[in-house]
Amino acid sequence: MEPILFILFGAIAVAGSIMVVTRKHPMASALYLILTLFAVAALFVLRQAHFLAAIQVIVYAGAVVVLFIFVIMLINVPENKLPVERLTALRFLGVAAAGLLILEGAVLARKTTMPGGTAADSGSVQAVGRALFTDYLLAFEITSVLLLAAVIGAIALAKKKI
Amino acid sequence: MESFVHSLVKAVPVLSGVPMWTLTLTAMILSAAVLLVFALTFGGVGSYVLRKVAGDIQARIGPNRVGPNGILQFLADGVKLVLKEDIIPAKADRFLFALAPYFVFVGSFAAFVVLPFGVGLIASDLNIGVYYVMAVTSLVVVGVLLAGWASNNKWALLGGMRAAAQIVSYEIPVGMALMPAVLIAGSLSLQDIVRSQGGLLGVFGWNLFHNPFTFFSFFLYFTAAQAETNQTPFDLPEAESELVSGYNVEYSGIRFGFFFLAEFGDMFVVAALATACFLGGWHIPFLHAEALPAFWGNLLSLGAFLAKAFALVLVMMWIRWTLPRLRVDQLMRMAWKYLVPLTFVNLLGVSLWLLIFKGKGIPQMIASLFG
Amino acid sequence: MPLGNLASVSRFLPELAVTATILLLVAVHVVGKNRQSSASALLSLAGVGAALLLTALQPSMPAVSLFEGMVALDGFAVFFKALTALATIVVIFMSMDSAELSGKSQAEYYVFLLSVLLGMFLLSSATDLVMLYLSLELVSIPSYLLAGYLKGRKSSNEASMKYVVYGATASGVMIYGFSLLYGLTGTTQIAEIGRALATGKAALPLFLAAVMVAVGFGYKIAAVPFHMWSPDVYEGAPTPVTAFLSVGPKAAGFAVLVRFFYTVFASPDGAGGPWTLSSPVDWTLLFAVLSAATMTVGNLVAVNQKNVKRLLAYSSIAHAGYMLMGFVLLTPAGIQAILFYLVVYLFMNLGAFYVVILVANGTRSEDISDYAGLGSRAPFAAVSLAIFLFALTGIPPFSGFIGKVYLFAEVINRGVYWLAVVAALNSVVSLYYYARIVKVMFLEEPAEKAELAVPAFPRALLCLLAVPTLLLGVYWEPVIRVAANSVRLLAF
Repeated sequence: MEPILFILFGAIAVAGSIMVVTRKHPMASALYLILTLFAVAALFVLRQAHFLAAIQVIVYAGAVVVLFIFVIMLINVPENKLPVERLTALRFLGVAAAGLLILEGAVLARKTTMPGGTAADSGSVQAVGRALFTDYLLAFEITSVLLLAAVIGAIALAKKKI
Repeated sequence: MESFVHSLVKAVPVLSGVPMWTLTLTAMILSAAVLLVFALTFGGVGSYVLRKVAGDIQARIGPNRVGPNGILQFLADGVKLVLKEDIIPAKADRFLFALAPYFVFVGSFAAFVVLPFGVGLIASDLNIGVYYVMAVTSLVVVGVLLAGWASNNKWALLGGMRAAAQIVSYEIPVGMALMPAVLIAGSLSLQDIVRSQGGLLGVFGWNLFHNPFTFFSFFLYFTAAQAETNQTPFDLPEAESELVSGYNVEYSGIRFGFFFLAEFGDMFVVAALATACFLGGWHIPFLHAEALPAFWGNLLSLGAFLAKAFALVLVMMWIRWTLPRLRVDQLMRMAWKYLVPLTFVNLLGVSLWLLIFKGKGIPQMIASLFG
Repeated sequence: MPLGNLASVSRFLPELAVTATILLLVAVHVVGKNRQSSASALLSLAGVGAALLLTALQPSMPAVSLFEGMVALDGFAVFFKALTALATIVVIFMSMDSAELSGKSQAEYYVFLLSVLLGMFLLSSATDLVMLYLSLELVSIPSYLLAGYLKGRKSSNEASMKYVVYGATASGVMIYGFSLLYGLTGTTQIAEIGRALATGKAALPLFLAAVMVAVGFGYKIAAVPFHMWSPDVYEGAPTPVTAFLSVGPKAAGFAVLVRFFYTVFASPDGAGGPWTLSSPVDWTLLFAVLSAATMTVGNLVAVNQKNVKRLLAYSSIAHAGYMLMGFVLLTPAGIQAILFYLVVYLFMNLGAFYVVILVANGTRSEDISDYAGLGSRAPFAAVSLAIFLFALTGIPPFSGFIGKVYLFAEVINRGVYWLAVVAALNSVVSLYYYARIVKVMFLEEPAEKAELAVPAFPRALLCLLAVPTLLLGVYWEPVIRVAANSVRLLAF
């Protein structure tokens, strides 16, 4: 059962992300992004990382993409005025690079053994909490400085006069 | 779900010949159906009660034509919604317009899955229950935004954006105000949270009376949740006087019905979460529901849970018809300048309390004084 | 054995001092009434000064790993902490004098500056992929804000925008490389990754991962072909910020580049000897090509520039190219040459930018043509600028020459003659455009004769920057000794 679900959600995630970059309208891209994020959350659930899955949905689908949609709605470019993107050599190069990466993934999957043997509950609330407050405590604290700077920056940039 | 199926197979040996996954699947579909019927009924009856309460508060009679005291009004409304013409505006984005109500309804309905209705009455006791509810709520945000945008109508657009901004902002105090209950139970599972409030202290076992911070927390949660579900005095997304009806202004027929049902579903989810996290959930004061025979235990605990939740729903309606609406800037200021800091302070207070008093609440300490 | 979280705190004082200053700045800003006062500048000066002092007092021997292996405290980290703190102090002085920022250099500006500093501290000592990425972002995000700090100016907005877009792309590619490394080895500790890779054979995925990580670091040091952002950002950003970005984050970028590639893909041969590649990835050729390309592009494009800031931007790209020469050699002496060059570069580059600020304060222009006759209008500034420019060129007896001698000597010792030839040709090209500014300053008639006043305090600061630039050209022994002591990376 699990391999089938994995392939299913993996396929949804990949297809969704291809749609994100190929859709003409940004709103459609944003919606496909949500689909992709949900599919990735489902993959987390399959790996027993329920907590990560919930956080993924709350933070990304629930807040980040909502902000994207917000901006798209605020700018609200009419459909006929959307910029037309031409196919340039650079773009083909990008596709080629992506192909190379996929190839590499295949090589990676076939040739190397991944030491991915993490504990079964590594995605649970308890495990994440313990990791955050022991091994990764410094990273956790530094994140707060980063967020503080970012918050102040957002206000400093957005406000006309402080 | 699997454990339920296991116990079912044990109770009814005939079923042991049936493959496990069919039983699990059937149980899943059945429980979903039960929840759906409950949500629909609640939406219907809720709308009737809402109008009656509104009538009482505004010194009117309210619906009184269909059936005795107008009790069948909601059936008439339901039939009307289903039969009405489904209009899609010419300039709307047809696909997204059609998609949006499902997002909203699914987001609201999916939260029912983890609500602990009784001792064993829970569709799925996820170990991340509280976060799950917050995660599916994000679907509602997306749906509301889509509805507003796809309608191609400026009121709908403004309503959608207001709603999304509001839900995203108030999601933080809502989540933070629920955390004290999570801390006390040491688990995100709603069933665990309810269990942690049992004991022989009766109502004083509830998290509401655990310590001053949790008491405060309940009111913070209730206020923030009122806003997250777009209820008056926080109903700016709909603000009839400014936006006609907000993000759903272009919807009619059954599509409007979905928004309508989702609104009532949200109301119940909020009340149920408050019940589970602060008011002892399905615990019946001075009665050990878990120790009763399974049938009676489940029945009584279901009754207790629904009674508490419905009482809270009534309070929400009461507030809704009593207070005037806030302004947009006031609303945002309330979330970011007052509720968010207060909930953080509160969370800190609860954590310190648990640390200092080794997890004991005031009622427990008083009880231990008397042996 | 890494120290635990609590035991590490006492070895983490410089970072704590910076963090405390950031918080104090916010508090003072909220409480304070007078928004134009220089209180926040002085407060941050005190904070960074304290951090510098604490760094100098830090016992870096023997090297230890702190916070469960998140960061290392070794001579290398201490060197870069001192270097970046020093650069930050100079930049704070510059910001106080800059007319562009006058009235705008408020608490938030210093909060960003100090956040970048904290990021650089952590970047030069990070030994864990998570920490590494986080500190890189801590350097980057406030840098974007600093570049766009002049909200009313279009070029500043453009600078910030370009910086964000390029930065996000680079860090996205880099973290993909990190994820590959994590997937291949199952650990985020770079030392353990190095050990795990030494036994493995997966050359192709590993090489791609290395290239992807190099994109992120290359972006930070503005190496070709990841340099595209830097001229626009350097031109658009407020000049003190440009000076800061061209020295601080670049130095930290070199720190992380050296630490990461040497720890993950190479291992030392005994005490003080050269390193050998321990994994199938031969990144040295890749970086040698990058180095040659970086200095060539930087110098060739700089020739045609009409704006001094833009010219200095291209010149700083070229200097990153020179420094990369030392990186590809796999010898302690090569790294030592980079460290020494960074010290010299700090003084001469900051000095050059400082003169640009002082001139712009008077003329409101950064065009080379407006430097005509500066020799008579503001002789002191003009002479100082000439000193810094000649030092940047690498002419004896200025310190830049000694820096280049160390780099060239090591390249030739290791027999990479083609790179030495490319670098020598580049130095000749660079002489042309640096000397052009000097020519304009002293030989061309000014459009306006009025004297450009340079107040006493900036004069003193200019002296403080010019003296080491000259002195290190004749007596560099102590600095090279410090650099030699700082080469030892924590390897465990």
